[in-house]
Amino acid sequence: MTERRRRYIRMYALVWFVLAVAGDIGLALGPTPPFQASDLASSQSTVIKILAVIAWPVFSAVVATIAFTLFGNRVAPHEGDIDPGKLRGDSRPQIAWISASIVIVLSLAVYGTVALASDQPGAGISTTSASLRQPASPSDPLEVQVIAQQWWFTYRYPTYGGVETPQLVIPVGQKIQFHVTSLDVVHSFWFYALGVKADAVPLNDNVFTVTPTQTGTYRVQCSELCGLWHGNMNADDAMVVSSSDFAAWIQQQQAMDAPILKYLPAYSHTYEPNPPAYGT
Amino acid sequence: MGLRASIAAVSIVIAGVVVGFFVTQYMGHTPPTVTVSTSANTVEGRPVVDVTFTTVAAVGSGLHPNWVAYLNSDGNPSTYFHVPAGSVVRITIDQQDGASGLRNPYFGLVRGTVGNEMTVNHKVMTSINPDDAAHTFTIPDLGVSVPLLGVADNAPAGAQNVVQFEFIAPPQGTYRWQCFVPCAAGTLYGNGGPMQTLGYMAGEMTVS
Ligand SMILES: [Cu+2]
Ligand SMILES: [Cu+2]
Repeated sequence: MTERRRRYIRMYALVWFVLAVAGDIGLALGPTPPFQASDLASSQSTVIKILAVIAWPVFSAVVATIAFTLFGNRVAPHEGDIDPGKLRGDSRPQIAWISASIVIVLSLAVYGTVALASDQPGAGISTTSASLRQPASPSDPLEVQVIAQQWWFTYRYPTYGGVETPQLVIPVGQKIQFHVTSLDVVHSFWFYALGVKADAVPLNDNVFTVTPTQTGTYRVQCSELCGLWHGNMNADDAMVVSSSDFAAWIQQQQAMDAPILKYLPAYSHTYEPNPPAYGT
Repeated sequence: MGLRASIAAVSIVIAGVVVGFFVTQYMGHTPPTVTVSTSANTVEGRPVVDVTFTTVAAVGSGLHPNWVAYLNSDGNPSTYFHVPAGSVVRITIDQQDGASGLRNPYFGLVRGTVGNEMTVNHKVMTSINPDDAAHTFTIPDLGVSVPLLGVADNAPAGAQNVVQFEFIAPPQGTYRWQCFVPCAAGTLYGNGGPMQTLGYMAGEMTVS
């Protein structure tokens, strides 16, 4: 191996190492979306962080290789012909990159499978019955129904007499069981900060649980093209509040709903459009 | 310059003029707006502006004569209006359409207006039977929603319910508003046509 080539490889290794380590330190220490507002958001954030930290050195190697190939191998005309060295038949680098790829891909596959399997059951079909009821114990999840319609989400709280509101407010630190349905076309309920997105399908009950861990005001948004005002089907007033604030809020909503409560349909996990064929 | 080149040059110029004409027509098009009149009185120092609509089952003219719509005082379908920030917006709706009923009964509730109430033919109401709703006037981002009581099926021609309510105009911006009754007769589930078209059952309020 020529001295020039040795210097070249050493330089390449140094650049790659600095790039990889600096980037990985930033990725490991910096915040990773979707941040920490719920248990699900935190676990997604961890998965994304691990994937990014492993992927970054690979990305750095690709970038460093392109840069060195373009600029590092230049030979000025007066330097004449220089033997660039042969890669073919050089089994050491081949074994190195093949085994590194295998180790990275397989370990990520194992990690991803375990992370997916150990996550709580995500969206699925409900097994609980729809009823107005008090939770048996404080550790029971609070049921909140998301009703999508062109073009606004409304919410029902079966634990509080089936009260319906146009604003989503949930207590911090409590497990929330969301039931998502639609009254017309397919919408999608996206609460980014909690790390959840669930399709809202008419006559279908889409269920997931999540525990919000940070109080704050957040955005909810429809993420399924659903008509004229799909792009405006969002609200910046979704709130995660303390349980005492939640108690006060829900009481206020019950008072506001008093004139309509008797007209609301019995709480149900899906609603048959009524009459079933409007206008057709 | 040869004849061919001259013809090509003239054609390009003509094409450019035609395209330019249609582009400026399109850009310059403003939909008809609803006239807003400032009333003489103020409430707690806020100016009061009046906005008046008529809702009808069929527009009777224009591109879609059989569509349901909100009309301005000229009798044209129109759902655009401008109000000053912080003013009291007093909406009066001459509701002439029959009921088709709400898909989500919750919108039978009056919410977000001053006092969370409306008057229907001068009678104060805070909700209506959702099955009796012909339309709603709803501005989702302000939490304002008012159901409009349909006229009875056997009512004489020209019968109407006069619905009036007030809300405080927010800071400046553009706010969408719409109807939540699937009132578009003849379309799938009543949610097509006028429900999906600005100027009929959906509009914008500009606050400046
Ligand atoms: Cu939607
Ligand atoms: Cu309508």
